[in-house]
Parts: sequence; structure tokens; C-alpha cells
Amino acid sequence: MNNSVRNFYGWFTFLGLVVGGLVILGYYRDEYREWKQYQHRFIQEEIRRAATPQQKVLAETTPVEVRQILLPELNRVDRCTTCHLAVEDPSYGGYPQPLAYHPLHEQHPFEKFGCTICHRGQGRATTTADAHGSVPHWDQPMLPMKYIQASCGQCHEAADNPAAPELARGQQVFETSGCRGCHKLNAVGGNIGPELDKVGTRRSPEWLKQHFLTPSAVTANSAMPPQKFSDADLDAIVLFMLSQTGESAPGYYASMKVIPSAGQGQRLFLQKGCIGCHSIAGQGGKVGPALDDVGLRRAPDWMMQHFRDPQSVTPGTVMPRFGFTETEARALTEFLLHLKERNVAESLPSLMNPVERGHEVYRKYGCAGCHGPDAKGGVPNPNAKTAEQVPGLIYVADGYTKAELNTRIVKGQREIPALDPKRAPPPLYMPAWGAVIKDAELNDLVAYLVSLKPKGEDVGF
Amino acid sequence: MNPSASNDPNGISRRGFLQLALGWAAGTLAIVASAAGAVRFLVPNVLFEPSLIFKAGKPEDFPDGSVTFLESERVFLVRQGNTYRCLSAICTHLGCTVNRAEKGYHCPCHGSVFDEQGSVKSGPAPRGLAWFQVTLSKDNRLLVDKSRTVAADQYLVLPTKV
Amino acid sequence: MGRSIFRVGLPQSNLERSQAMTSSFLLHIQPAKVHKHSIKAGYSLGLGLISLYLFFILIGTGVLLMFYYVPSTERAYNEMKDLQFVVSAGLLIRNMHRWAAHLMVLFVMLHLCRVFYTGAYKRPREFNWIIGVGLFLLTLGLSFTGYLLPWDQLAFWAITVGTNIAGYAPIIGPKVKYLLLGGNVVGQEALTRFYALHVIVLPTLALMMVAVHLWRVRKDGGLSRPDESGDVIEQIPLGQLPTNKSYGLMELARGTTPQVGKNPEDEVFSWPHLVFREILLFLLVAVVVLFLAIFWNAPLEEYANPIYPPNPAKAPWYFLGLQELVSYSAFWGGVVIPGLLVTALVLLPYLDRKRVGVGRWFARERVMANSIFTICLLAAIVFTIIGTYFRGPSWSWVEPWQQPPAVTEGH
Repeated sequence: MNNSVRNFYGWFTFLGLVVGGLVILGYYRDEYREWKQYQHRFIQEEIRRAATPQQKVLAETTPVEVRQILLPELNRVDRCTTCHLAVEDPSYGGYPQPLAYHPLHEQHPFEKFGCTICHRGQGRATTTADAHGSVPHWDQPMLPMKYIQASCGQCHEAADNPAAPELARGQQVFETSGCRGCHKLNAVGGNIGPELDKVGTRRSPEWLKQHFLTPSAVTANSAMPPQKFSDADLDAIVLFMLSQTGESAPGYYASMKVIPSAGQGQRLFLQKGCIGCHSIAGQGGKVGPALDDVGLRRAPDWMMQHFRDPQSVTPGTVMPRFGFTETEARALTEFLLHLKERNVAESLPSLMNPVERGHEVYRKYGCAGCHGPDAKGGVPNPNAKTAEQVPGLIYVADGYTKAELNTRIVKGQREIPALDPKRAPPPLYMPAWGAVIKDAELNDLVAYLVSLKPKGEDVGF
Repeated sequence: MNPSASNDPNGISRRGFLQLALGWAAGTLAIVASAAGAVRFLVPNVLFEPSLIFKAGKPEDFPDGSVTFLESERVFLVRQGNTYRCLSAICTHLGCTVNRAEKGYHCPCHGSVFDEQGSVKSGPAPRGLAWFQVTLSKDNRLLVDKSRTVAADQYLVLPTKV
Repeated sequence: MGRSIFRVGLPQSNLERSQAMTSSFLLHIQPAKVHKHSIKAGYSLGLGLISLYLFFILIGTGVLLMFYYVPSTERAYNEMKDLQFVVSAGLLIRNMHRWAAHLMVLFVMLHLCRVFYTGAYKRPREFNWIIGVGLFLLTLGLSFTGYLLPWDQLAFWAITVGTNIAGYAPIIGPKVKYLLLGGNVVGQEALTRFYALHVIVLPTLALMMVAVHLWRVRKDGGLSRPDESGDVIEQIPLGQLPTNKSYGLMELARGTTPQVGKNPEDEVFSWPHLVFREILLFLLVAVVVLFLAIFWNAPLEEYANPIYPPNPAKAPWYFLGLQELVSYSAFWGGVVIPGLLVTALVLLPYLDRKRVGVGRWFARERVMANSIFTICLLAAIVFTIIGTYFRGPSWSWVEPWQQPPAVTEGH
């Protein structure tokens, strides 16, 4: 009995010490966090730079603590400023990270926007690796700087933003390449490929790039043909895809997000029906003056006042007060100022003939993605009876009546006749477009297709 | 019963005593450290409340001689020439928001009247309105810190070219 | 002042050693004296005690975690991240909780095996065995309900799989699933219910059953041991009660208790022999849990996404054997076999009544019972191992030592 109890004391001591040691080890690992060293470095720098005794005291009494920006409307908490302590201080320009100054934040103050809404990464983290997000189980790593304009597209219209030309280019590439023919974006498009509304959150830049170059390498059994983009176009469209994150701009952000650009002005111009009274390129109403060269005749301030209160600048005018907001007025002003530079005449639907409008419809819904940008076909469709390609549309006028074309577009064709029944069926098919292409647009599209046959030929089917 | 008993059957050898003491010390340390750790765990390191430090805006936004009420923060931003001060709008009586009067401030709830310096002129308020520290942030905004109260004659002075 | 709290000082005499147990609230569930055999480490391996200590650690760390965790699908995941990044010792406490939970499931299973192999479920301990099985199921329930709380991909899909398996039971299955989830899908209602179960309902039940479990150990004559003939079970007729005793009340509590004075050489005082061993064991458990918690982090995957399951989606490890069985046949694998096994476990003491081989490991007389149990145990282990390591995407057979094929990004 004595022995057992004697052994006990030895073991008790040993285990007690081990437990104590482990508790202390746990405590140290908890206390000595990575961000504290950066804060100490910053404080030392501030002390060194202090010009007056008050500044020195202020620097010395800076607390060492986690700093965070609360963004309840954006559902985020960003703790980047725990290490990036000098983002608002221009005198830290050029310092090595994490103490460098962040330029160009005037329009997007940090208290309202935080960091991760643009840069992505893991805002709640407080270690470098975790915060920058390239860790397992975090699917939003920081965006490489070359794609940073993608974040602008989350709130702002891509084409409107003079500060994001890459984004605008990306959108242009998207619209002209006919991606919508297979992919839905914002509920418009085909259903052969997946919807793209949140592709920016699900796919990395590397994956996207690879996907455009060789789709079958990243997606098994992909029917998407490899895209031939120039390097610049490739980066632009990857950037545009990255901007599709499904982030909504609630409350305060929605009120701020409209950029008064010429593009926005054009949209408003069409929306408000200005063409009813004013004319451009000879088309439109005759009640008010023609607007073609208004940018040369009137100063921006006059135009702004004119939008606020037409009577105040043109007494006796019949132009109503539309009640534009300042932003809307500015957008319209921008639009008018640059009217000469933009080929507006060609893009106003009311000014086009049906065939031209039909061509717009062809472009808008991405028919080019399968039928080719000039409707010549050529996109591979393995095992399809039509020479294993998506057929061209140049000669549809010979094979189909307008009514038949109508029906084909509305109903689509799900089953594509196969060349060899033993092989897998052709992956590409004609979606049913009836839900989105209707009435005027449908007629215009058919008119366009019928017009594709070169004049004078009569092949006959 | 006791380890390493020496001549004295109730006694304890030095080694045994050291073992015992060390054992108790280690055990106590572990218990105390764990309790201290648990308490430290419960002390929050970050708060999810609106910050007491906020930016009131650019100095140019406030005209000379103005008293601007900032509703969401419940303070008045007072500019006099190149001096900037910030006065709490929370009545020291029972917490209502005071209104700006011709000269000074007046509380609509129980009629407390405060002068331009925030001191109580009449009414049930026990003490004057608090003045908060105003500094200039690194990006040239007025930075108000509601956690630091200052005397009525302490204010931010900016160079005249503002 | 010390005497006003502790009533008895450090025991110096045998009387005081007895009183250390009987006059203490915390300690009085222990007898004043225990049989020498019961405190042999090699007999019980302290498995039941280890399970109990892990439970206490879980309660302690769990209560601390409750000060930060919010059972909301929007907030739970972010609170887990905050624990890791901004709460002092947050990661440590969470890790302790997670590893203690896994260890507790393991050690409760080991304890069950020990009790079986030593035949300690036989008369008079049948009912205690049933309470033990109940505690085992409660432990699984606690682990399962806690598993969902981080609301990450791992949690969400493990519980989706687990509740689907539960739904296979005939007739009551879908109803139980509906009740558990508070609906048809794993969503906010499920999270709220699982939280309520995990922090109050199941722990309270478990604590009450633990109390009964330990009390029964006392009343059934302490831990089982080879020769209990010294503790003859006697029914003392009321009329024959000796009259010269002053503690009359104690006599009326009939049943099996160590007959004080019958085998004095075989018994030792709980203080210090039992109690000191218990303290030592607790320190050992604390060392292991702390060590694991400091060096290995509990997992936290992406935020739960109901649209994109990981492939394969796996149940928690203690249900993987079940998931493997279910992959063969939902009815036979998910309902019949587990149902039979649990029923067999519960009814065991009433099926195997021969009071032989009690108190010894792997007693020869019990070779049949031991073999059957071992076979079932091995089968369970094999299925669990298969489910863990040998099942890949779409539950296909994979060999874990081979490189997995290049997987295109998950979704």
C-alpha cells in the first residue's frame, strides 16, 4: 500500500507539470499572434516620425488590438486593417506591405466599403495566409491585381465605368462572341451550358482562362468549342466573368452605384422617350430641336439646369419637368456632350430597319456562339448529321418559310439527328427561345435571317 | 502511509516533501491557469457595435460659425474660424437629444437649458454637455472620438489655408 | 475556516478516511472502501472514468463556447471563424471540445467492450448494462447533434446523410426525421433543434443517467470481480433483523452491497487509493486532450452550401460503418442489421444469464459469447474502415494508397 501511494506522488507531480506546461504552451501560442508584430512595427514607425510631443504620446499609447470594419449591409467584417494600418495615410505611400498606403479610395471610403468587397480574400481572418485566402476550404482567395477591375462590375454597369476599361472590354467580348447562345446571364440566354450569374465566385481566374482555351480540359464532356481570343481579349473576358458574383448592392450602395456616364445617359434617353420630341440623324420628333450637335452649342452647366427646370433656361418651352435626380441629369448631359462620338444613330432601335434590328437581336441573344458571328456556322457538334457542325444560316430562306423559322426559334430542337446512332448523341442543340425572344424581336430576327441569302442566288433545297 | 518515511513514522523525507510540494504547485498552477484562461476567453477582443470613433466629414464641409447637428451620431459639430469642436447632444438629465437654440441648446423633454459652452444654465440637468475630442485623420477628415471627453476650451485648430 | 467548508481535514485516521467519502457531497457516491481488485488498472482500464472525464471536459468547454456561438444559419459559421481568429484561446477551446467529443465516442465504445469481455453485465448488473447502452446512444446523439453546429460543408452534408439513413427505418423513420429536422430539409429549424438537443436536452439526460449508472455500480456491489462469493446475496427477513445496531435505516436497504467486515483483507480505503488514482487518471486525460488540441486543429470547411455536396458526402466516422452497410441495402443495411444489433445489445443480460466467467477478461467459459461479440465488433470496425478510406466519389471503391484521379473543380 505504501508503494502505490508513493508512486502516486511522483506521477502526480509529473502529470501536473505536463498539464501546466501544456496550458502555458497553449497560452503562448494564443498570445503571440502574427498581427501583433506588424502593429509593433507600425507603432515604432509612428514614434520615429512623431514631430511633436503630443504626436509621440499619441503614437506610444496606440492600443495593440484587432481592428475591424463592420459592414452589416454587405454581410461582412473586414479585419485587414489589423495589419494594413496605414491604408488611409498618404505619407506611407511606397512603404513595404503591410504598412503601405492605399491610393484611390476617395470614392469608396473604407468605413463604408471595407476591403474584401473588391479584393476578396477572407476578411474575418487575422493571419496572412488565411486573410489572403489561398488556404483550403476558402473559395474566394484575393483577386490578382490584374483582375481587380472585375470587382467594379459587381455594382456598376460594366460599360459605364471610365475607371474600368478592361471590364467594359470584357463585356464587349462577351456580347460579340455569342456566349449567351448557350449560357444564361441575368436570365437571358440559352440553357446548353450552365448559368453564369455567380461564376465569379465559383471559378478561379486560372480555371476560367483554361476553360476558354480548352474547355474539355477542365470540364469533362464539354460541348463548348475552344475560343480563339487574343491575349488581351482573353484577360478581359476572364475579368468580366470574375465580375459575375451575384453580390447585390443594398440600401446605401444602391443609391450610390449609378455612374453618370454617357452609356447610362443613353439608356435614360431611350427609357424616357426623348426621341418623341427631339431628333438624332434626322430620325425622331420635330417638336424640339435636333440634338446632333447640342454638345457644341450648349455648355454642360446649361444642360444640367435645363434638365432640372427647362422653364428656367428656355422660358415658354413645352418640355416638361421630368424630375431627374442629379445623377440622372449628369448622365444625360454626358450622353449629349458625346453624341457626335458615339454611333448612337446606329444603336437606337427606333432608327433601324427590321433587318438591322434583327441583327441586333442575333447579337444580343448570342446566336453567334453556335451559328457563328456571321451566321456561317462552323462550330463543331460531334456526331451531328449536319456535317458534325452547327449549321450555318445563310440559306435558311430557301429551306424554311417565315412561319417555320418562327416556330423553330420559339420551340427549339432538342433532338439533333445523329450521324451514327451507336455514338453519343450530339451535345449541342437548339434551345427553345420562345420565353425570351418574342413579338417584335422575333419578327425582326426572322427578317434578318431571311435577308442573309446573297442576292441573286437561288440554290433551292 | 507517507512516501519515503524516515525514522519518524509520521514524518516525511525531504525528497518526499519536495515531490509533494511540486506536485501541489503544478496542480494548482494548472487549475489557476485554466481558470484564468477561461476568464480571458470570455473577455471580448472585438466589439460588433458601431464604433465610438467616426469621421464627421471634411473641414470644408462645415461653414465658418456653423453648428451642425449630426443625427446618426447625436453630436453637434461646431466651427468657429479655424477651430473645430464637437458637443454631445445627449442631455445629461435623462438622455434625450437636445435641440439647437438661438444661442446655446435646449432640451425638449424637461426643459434643461445649456449655454454655448455646454454648461447648464437652468433646468434639471446635473452637469454640462460633454465635449468630445476632435482630431484630423490621415486622410484629412475630422475625426471625432466619443470615448474621449475634453474640456470646453480644447479644440482642433487647423492651419488658416483651410 | 477550512473545516467549515471541508468538514474533514486531510485524513489521518481510518475513521477520517471513511468520512472523507461519506461526508462529502462530491465524493459520497464513492464507497468508503473498495475491493482491491476494482482498482487494478489492468482490469477496468479506467475506461468508464475516462468517458466521464471527457464528458466533464466537454461540458466545461461547451459552456464556454456557448458564450460566442449563435445557432443561426447566417451567423454560426462566422462565429466559428471568429473563435479561430479573434477570441483568446478560442481555437484551443474549440479544438478541446472537438477532440474530447471524438475521444468520448471512442472510449464509451471501448468501455462497452470491456464490460462485455469481463461479463460484467450479468446478475445483478443487468439493468446497469441497459443504462450503459442508453448512455452509449446518448453519446452518439450528442456527438451527432454537435456535428451540425459549425454549419460548414462537412457538418451540413454529414447530417444530411445521417438523417437520411434514419429516415430509412420503416414507418417511424420518416416521422423521426421530420421531427429531428423540424421539416424536410436541413435548414435553420434543424440547426435550432440540434442546438437545443445538444446543449440542454441530451446533456441533462446524460447527466441523470450517469448519476444512476454510478449509483447502480455502488448498489450492485462495486465493479465486477472474479470471486464475489464473499458478497452473498441474502434476503434478510424483516423479523430477523438484529436489534443491537444503531443505524437501523441502513439495514432496511436490502440488496447486494459489500458486506462490511466479511473480507477485510481484500478491501482498501477509497481515500487515498481510489481517489488518488482517479485524480491521476484525470490528469492523464487532460494531458491527452490538451496535447491534441494544441497541435491539431478541428476541421472547418467552406460555408454550408445546400446545392453543392462534396463527393462523396460522408457521415461522421462512427456512422461510416452504417453508411457502408446502407450502400448495399437501405433496408437490410440501414434498418434491420443495426436494429438487430442494438436490440441484441439491450437484451444481452437477459439472454446470457449464466453467471460464469464474471470478473475476468476473456474467460474460457464464455468463449461462445466472446466470439460472437468479437466477430460483430470486427465487422463493425472493418465496415468503418472501408467507409473511411476505401470509398471515394460516388461511393466507388478506391484504394487510398493510390493517387486520386485529377478532379476538375468540385462543383
